[in-house]
Amino acid sequence: MIRTLPATLVKALALALFAFLLFGPLANLVLWSVAERWYAPFKLPVTYGLRYWEVVFRPTGDAMSSLATSVAIAGLTVLVALLVSVPAGYALARLKLPARTLIMIMFLLPQAFPSVAIYINVARIFYQFGLAGTVTGVVLVHAAHGLVYSVWIAAAAFAAVDRDLELAARNMGASPLRTFATITLPLAAPGIMASAIFVFLESLDEFTGTFFVGVPQVTTLPLLLYSASMGGNYQIASITALILLVPSVLFMMVIERFLRADVLSKVGQ
Amino acid sequence: MDRFDARSSRPERSAEPGPTFVRRHGGSRIGLRPSGMTLVGAALLASASALAWPAYAQQTLNVATAGDQNMVDYVKDYLGPMFEKTHPGVKVNAVGTGPGDAGSQKIYEKLDAQKKGGAAKSDFDVIVIHQKAAGAMVKEGLLERYTDKIPTGALATRDTAKNALGAEVSGYVMPMFHSQTAIAYNADMVKNPPNSYPELVEWVKKNPKQFGYNGIKGGMSGVAFVAGWVAAFGGDGAKLEKGPYDPNDKAKWDKALADLKEFNKNAVITPGNAGTLDMLNRGEIAMGPVWVDMFYTWMADGKLPPNMKLKLVSPGMPGQPMYYAVPAKANEKLAQEFVALATSPEVQAEGIVKRFNWYPGIDAKNLEGKLDQAAWKKLFADISPEDLQSKGKPFPIAPYFNDILEAYERKVAN
Amino acid sequence: MPRPSPLGLLLVAPALALVAALFLYPLGFSLVAAFTAEGQPTLRHFEKAFELYATDIRFTIFIVLFSTVLIALISIAIAGVLTLSETPWLIATLRWLYRWPLFIPFIVAAQCMRTFLAKNGLMNNTLVAAGVLEPLQAQSFLDWRGIVITFVWKQVPFVTLMLAGAMASLDRATIEAGRNLGASRLRVLVELVLPQVSQTLLVGLVLSFVTMLSVLSVPMMVAGSQPTMLTVDMAFRINAYGDYATANALGVISYAMTAVVAWIYLRHQVRREAEA
Repeated sequence: MIRTLPATLVKALALALFAFLLFGPLANLVLWSVAERWYAPFKLPVTYGLRYWEVVFRPTGDAMSSLATSVAIAGLTVLVALLVSVPAGYALARLKLPARTLIMIMFLLPQAFPSVAIYINVARIFYQFGLAGTVTGVVLVHAAHGLVYSVWIAAAAFAAVDRDLELAARNMGASPLRTFATITLPLAAPGIMASAIFVFLESLDEFTGTFFVGVPQVTTLPLLLYSASMGGNYQIASITALILLVPSVLFMMVIERFLRADVLSKVGQ
Repeated sequence: MDRFDARSSRPERSAEPGPTFVRRHGGSRIGLRPSGMTLVGAALLASASALAWPAYAQQTLNVATAGDQNMVDYVKDYLGPMFEKTHPGVKVNAVGTGPGDAGSQKIYEKLDAQKKGGAAKSDFDVIVIHQKAAGAMVKEGLLERYTDKIPTGALATRDTAKNALGAEVSGYVMPMFHSQTAIAYNADMVKNPPNSYPELVEWVKKNPKQFGYNGIKGGMSGVAFVAGWVAAFGGDGAKLEKGPYDPNDKAKWDKALADLKEFNKNAVITPGNAGTLDMLNRGEIAMGPVWVDMFYTWMADGKLPPNMKLKLVSPGMPGQPMYYAVPAKANEKLAQEFVALATSPEVQAEGIVKRFNWYPGIDAKNLEGKLDQAAWKKLFADISPEDLQSKGKPFPIAPYFNDILEAYERKVAN
Repeated sequence: MPRPSPLGLLLVAPALALVAALFLYPLGFSLVAAFTAEGQPTLRHFEKAFELYATDIRFTIFIVLFSTVLIALISIAIAGVLTLSETPWLIATLRWLYRWPLFIPFIVAAQCMRTFLAKNGLMNNTLVAAGVLEPLQAQSFLDWRGIVITFVWKQVPFVTLMLAGAMASLDRATIEAGRNLGASRLRVLVELVLPQVSQTLLVGLVLSFVTMLSVLSVPMMVAGSQPTMLTVDMAFRINAYGDYATANALGVISYAMTAVVAWIYLRHQVRREAEA
C-alpha cells in the first residue's frame, strides 16, 4: 500500500509527523501562555486572554530587568569562557600536552555532577571572597559550567586550521604571535564563535548556581521560571519561557553565520 | 546602614591574593591556587560594575520566600508597596526560592554558607520558610529572636507558633498563614466522597486508578497523605504529634505500610504537588490529596474544573504554617517592622484571607470585625471550622516524621 | 614525538584553574562528606544508598542508556537526510525544524511534556481528534517513557547539529562515488559516512549522557517517583532529611557512571591517536 504512494507524499507525511512531535509540546507552551481558564473535559482553553502577560509585565514585577540581567550575564559568561578557552583550545589542538585526554575530560566533569552540592560549597567560598551576590560571581560559576563546550569546540576549531598556512606565514618571517593573531585566530574564529551559542544557552538556562551565588542582589529570569514551573504555575512559566526564547533565537541567528561544518566535525578530538 | 556602600567596597576584597584562599581552608588539602580565577575576576570587575546593581534606594529589605510564586508576588505586589509607603527610602526586594521544603532548604543552605563564609551581614532580612527548616535554623543559631519585640507577637497562640515538628521555635517565628492538606475531588465524578481513610481505601478498591497522590519525593501533599495514613492505621496518632519519641514504634507500622503498598497498586503516583492538581485539571484522576492554599490558587487561575471540592477525611490529615523569620545579622529593625505589618489583623484579613482564601496565621478571633461575612463563608465553604479544629492535625514530630519517610522508602517504594 | 610543551600547560592553566577552583575544590567537600562520618572514613553512606536506592540506580542507568541509544539513532537519521537527501525542500524544512528544542530549558521541556504526553494531554487529544486513536486507547506516557521522550526531544537537536556539521564537511566525492556504484543511501550512510563522523557522534553522545544524568527537573516533573532517577533521590535526601552524606554518596555513584563513559571516550581517543 505505502509503496504505491508517491514518494513526495511519504516525505511530506514523515515531515508532518516530525513537526507534530517537535512543536506539539511547544504548542502547549503557547496555549498556556494565553489560557485564562483551561480544565477537563475541554481539550482547548475555555477562555483566552492576556491577563497573565499583564501579570508578568506589571510594574512591580521585574521581568524585564531580570531579563536584562540574564542576557548581560550570559554575554559576560561567553566572554569569560572564550577568554580562557582560546588559549586552552589552541594548546590542546597544537601543542604537545601531557595527559591531553585527561585534561579534556576535566572540562567535562562540571557537566556531570549534580550541581546543588557543588554550589553550596561554592557559595561558602564566595562569601569569604566577597564574590557572593555579585555579577562576577555568577558569571564565573556559569563559565565553569559551560567551559566544556567552549574548550572542546575551540580545540576543534584550531585543529581545523590548515597548518600549511601557518608555516607559510612563519617562512615569510612572521613571529609565532603574529602568525597566531593574523592567520590562526581569524581562521579559527568562526568555530570559536559557534561554541558561544552553547555557552550562552547554558548560562541562560541556569538557576541553581545563580540562586546560591547571586541572590538576592542578582536575580535572573530563570529563577522566576524555576519557581513558577515547579509550582505548576503554567501561565507564568510559559510566558517566561517564551520571553527567554527571544535572546536565545536572536543569538543563534547571529551565530548561525559562523557555524562552519569543518569545525563541528572535529569537536572533542 | 547603607547597603549600596557596603557592596561597592567589596571588589577590593575579591582582589585578595590567591594564597588567602587556601589558607582559610587550612583543614582541607584539596585546594588549588585559583590564580586564574582571581585574574579573570579582576578583569571582569570593570564590565560587571558597568552593569550596575538594581537601583537600590537608600535601604533595601530583602525578603526570601519559599513556596509558590504567588507568595513571592504577594510580597512584591502587596506587602512590599504597603511597607514602602510607610517607610520612605526603603525598597522591598522579594525573591522566591521554589516551592516545598526544597525552597526552605535552599534558604537554609544559603544562610549556612553565609555563616561559614563569615559574611558580615545577612543577605536576607526576612525569610518565609516551612516548619522543617525553621526547626533546623533555630537549632543552628541562624535566626534572631524577635516575636516578643513586635506588637503582633501575642496574636498567634496556636501550638504551631511555638513548636515546629517537635522543635522549640517559640519567639523565632510568626505564622504567615496556615495551610492544610485535604482530599480534593471532582464532584461531577464522585457523588459520595469518602469520609475517612478506611472509606477511602474501599473507594479506591472500587475505582482503581481514579485516586492519585505524589508519593513522598514529589512534595508535601503526598507526605501528608502518608503521615495521615500511618496515624490512621499505625496506632497511636497523638503520640506521633506530641511524642515522646520511641525509636521502636516504627516496627508497629509494618501492617499499615504493607496495606499502603497494596493500596498503591490501585492508585496513581503523580509527579509532585502540582502533578496531582495537574491530573485533576485534565480529569485523569477524580481525587487526590492537595494543599488547600494551592487548591484555591489553581481554582483562581482557572486551572481546575469549577466543581472541584475539598474533603478533610477522618481521623485527620496534617497541615502546617509558613513562618516569617528573621535571620541573624539581618537588618533587624526594618525586618521586625515588616513582619509586624504582615501579621497585623488588617493585613491578615485583607491579604491572606480575602486575597487568597488562605487560613490566617494569627488566631482567627483577632480578625473579627475586619472581614465581611462573605469572605468568612468562602474560607470555610468546603471544610467547616469544626472539621478543621478536629481533623486538621500537625505533622508528626521530626524523628517520627523521618522514620515514616524512611519506612515508606524501604517498605512501600522499594 | 616532541616533548611536552611548557607553553601549552601555561595556556591551558587559566581554563583549568577555573574548573579547579569552581568545581574540583568544592567537589572535594562533597567527597569528604560521602566517605566520612563523624570524622572517620566509612562506606556507611554507600551501604545506605545501595540499600534504599538500588532500584533507582538501575532505573537511572536504563533511562540514560536507552535515551542515548535513541538519540544516536534519531540524530543519525536526521543528519543523514540532511546530508544525503536529494529533495531540496525536505532538507530546507528539516534544517529549519529540528533545532527548536535546543532553546528550551530542561525545566520548560519537562513542563511542556507533562501536559503534552498525559492521558488527556494535547498529543492524545490531537490523535483522537484526527481519528488516529480511539478515546479508550489513549494512555498516559507520564512514566519512564515520558522521561526518555523528554530527554530525546531535548538532546537530539544538539547531537544532530554537531553530526550534520561533521557530515557536511566530508568529501562529497566519495559519497557520489558510492551512489554511482549503485549503493542505496542507507548503505552509503552506514558504510561510508558514519565511520568518518563516529568521533563527533561519540562526543555528542558523551555530552548528552552526562547532561541527562544531572538533570533534576525532568524526572521530578514528568514521572511519579517510584522508581525515579538518582537526582530526585539526592534532592529528597537533602530536603527531607538534611542528609548530605547519602546525597553525596549518590552523587559519587552517578559520577562512577560518568567515569565509565569517560573511559569509553578515552579508549576511543587513544586508539585514534595510535592510528594517527
